[in-house]
Amino acid sequence: MGELAAEKHVRYILAVEKKKDSYEAQLMEHLRMNGAYWGLTTLDLLGKLGVVDEAEVVSWIMECQHESGGFGGNVGHDPHILYTLSAVQVLALFDKIYVLDVDKVASYIASLQNEDGSFSGDIWGEVDTRFSYIAICALSLLHQLDRINVEKAVNYIVSCKNMDGGFGCTPGAESHAGQIFCCVAALAITGSLHHVDRDRLGWWLCERQDNKSGGLNGRPEKLPDVCYSWWVLSSLIIIDRVHWIDKNKLIKFILDCQDLEKGGISDRPDDAVDVFHTYFGIAGLSLLEYPGVKPIDPAYALPVDLVDRIFVLRRQPKA
Amino acid sequence: MATATTKAAACSEEEAFDILDQLIDILERHPLIDEVGFVHPSQIQALSEDVNTGSLSTEVFQKDEVLDNNDVQKKRLAFWHGDDKLGISTHFLPLLYIAAKHKFMAALMNYRILTEASKKQMDGDDQDIGISHAFSKIEMEVIRHSKALLLLCGDFGTAWNARKYIGTSKQNLLLFMDELQLSTLILSFAPKTECAWSHRRWVIKMLAGKCANLEEILEQESLLVEKLAEKSKMNYRAWNHRSRLVAYMSKQQMLHELAKSRNWAGLHVADSSCFHYRRRLMLRMLDDAMKEQDLIVCNAEVESLSVVWKEELDWNEVLIRRYIGHEALWFHRRFLSICWAEKLIGHFSISNGDETLGHNENHLSVFMEHELQLHRQCSIVQDSEFDDYTKQAVLSAAYILYLHTQFSERLRIQVVDKRQADDLRTLLHNVCPEKNSLWDYFLQT
Repeated sequence: MGELAAEKHVRYILAVEKKKDSYEAQLMEHLRMNGAYWGLTTLDLLGKLGVVDEAEVVSWIMECQHESGGFGGNVGHDPHILYTLSAVQVLALFDKIYVLDVDKVASYIASLQNEDGSFSGDIWGEVDTRFSYIAICALSLLHQLDRINVEKAVNYIVSCKNMDGGFGCTPGAESHAGQIFCCVAALAITGSLHHVDRDRLGWWLCERQDNKSGGLNGRPEKLPDVCYSWWVLSSLIIIDRVHWIDKNKLIKFILDCQDLEKGGISDRPDDAVDVFHTYFGIAGLSLLEYPGVKPIDPAYALPVDLVDRIFVLRRQPKA
Repeated sequence: MATATTKAAACSEEEAFDILDQLIDILERHPLIDEVGFVHPSQIQALSEDVNTGSLSTEVFQKDEVLDNNDVQKKRLAFWHGDDKLGISTHFLPLLYIAAKHKFMAALMNYRILTEASKKQMDGDDQDIGISHAFSKIEMEVIRHSKALLLLCGDFGTAWNARKYIGTSKQNLLLFMDELQLSTLILSFAPKTECAWSHRRWVIKMLAGKCANLEEILEQESLLVEKLAEKSKMNYRAWNHRSRLVAYMSKQQMLHELAKSRNWAGLHVADSSCFHYRRRLMLRMLDDAMKEQDLIVCNAEVESLSVVWKEELDWNEVLIRRYIGHEALWFHRRFLSICWAEKLIGHFSISNGDETLGHNENHLSVFMEHELQLHRQCSIVQDSEFDDYTKQAVLSAAYILYLHTQFSERLRIQVVDKRQADDLRTLLHNVCPEKNSLWDYFLQT
């Protein structure tokens, strides 16, 4: 079995951040807020968040906030629930949630809930269970879950459950590991896991593992991809069925996806690396309790020590 | 791409905006362009030299710092277009992107300022003619520049939103059609672009109720997905788009979709998404039928569906036997069999003229015997050298175990007896030991 080249990955992430004016980075600038979450959470999991200029990041995040309370992917971009969660998560990493006007952010998120309990991504109305997870996760981190109709939100998620035990993005949509993570994590956060058929879903999830490579895919017939090491694994852990997959083989697959020269992790061995897959690879290793990686919470997708700080040690955000 | 960046850095801001204007000009003079490609500079050169294509290529004169230290200008081709197709030289992409984004954001800012100003004006008085005229001009700027920007970066959500703002305020049918056309254009080379898909749904929402030919539009959407699915296998966004449209369909349309997409499915047996689409159609029809208040109508609906179901089961079996080791086919069978056994089997017998509603158990045991027979035939690993046979055996055994688990819980019947269960365990441990903890858990229950 190979080893985790943690130092190389840290250097890779810091280098990507410096190249933000390159063409490749420009093409991604609309989702820089997500990129910040992937990069900085990875650094924290590897114990290296301290090398980042916290003040610079926090001030940039606040510049991305729209008058509606939501956050855009970058300065001057329209707000969307996707970037709003990443903003809250990154501020949480720095223990700076209190710089937010919590009420304003909570109002923005709550305004996106629809009559049937579902959530839209923004004012234009696109519905997806990912947005349900985002709303529930963000509001929970802000201690503002009571701003939405939780019962209706849960009912909507349950309406997206399929016969195979999985979940899709809307009622009747194909089961997809990413959507399953969102639904299962949202149900976990709201104390509603009893709606999940753990055996059936666990079966569907562990069939994602490719016997040869040990990697996980997101749906039947697809190739394994490192990002599913997070979505499938965290779901299995939440429903207590992770013993149905071969953990060692999965660890080996993730390690094989590293670029041992330049740092970073790719979707599968020998492909080009990116920050997205680097985060999911490290997060997956964290769930697999790989040494040298901090434990991560499978529902909040943030380091456990941070989640403890938010929920156990402090009941209200600092004024 | 890295080479393009370093070379393109030599271009001035003015030159960049000039190239952008040329792109916008081409797009406006050729609104029927339905395909865009990003091609290597040498390919653009080759295309322009091909006299048979009857094309037009746009030249850009640019200093080439890498080749020459003197101020010798080198001719570069930025665009090629012909036959409703547009090629953009990758050499110019970084420049174009920066210019397009700059122009779009500037236009958007002006649009927002004007919107604020006109809101203040609207209180009481008629809108000033000057502001009205400025509005039209700025809207056009936003539309033109957002189009160019989106071609270069289809996920730039703010650009799609700007078009939505304008579309909402104008409520113009032709404009909505333009939006669909732009989305189609972008999806032609970037079929996973989430924003392009959700933009279509927004347009359909705007059109629903306003125009009579929604059915035609849905038909077009279905065709688009099928066309894109050919190049982009198991594209979740594409198939999900098609799935979402099912909510707007009548039973007639759903049956039509099921029949129409069958051939395609038969040629793409590894595409799990297309089989899921069939399940979506079938399940929606079944749910609708079961919700029918009038018992006589309900029974009639369910009976006619049971015929459809049986046909699907038979066809699925043909595919399973022909295309060995395909997960998508076996997953589809799990669904078909469960619905069949739990909801439809009695109704099919009635529709077949066999009035033995009270003898469901007989039909069920006949059905299960057939499935076990299929399993026996599929679990023979003729040649362990070929993975497919092993995969087929695993899938077949897992399928039987799945039914056994489901039916013992829901219908209180044992699909396999003790001896058959032991055989199943032996087979699974042999062909797929990696998942022994899964098999053992379900075999013990």
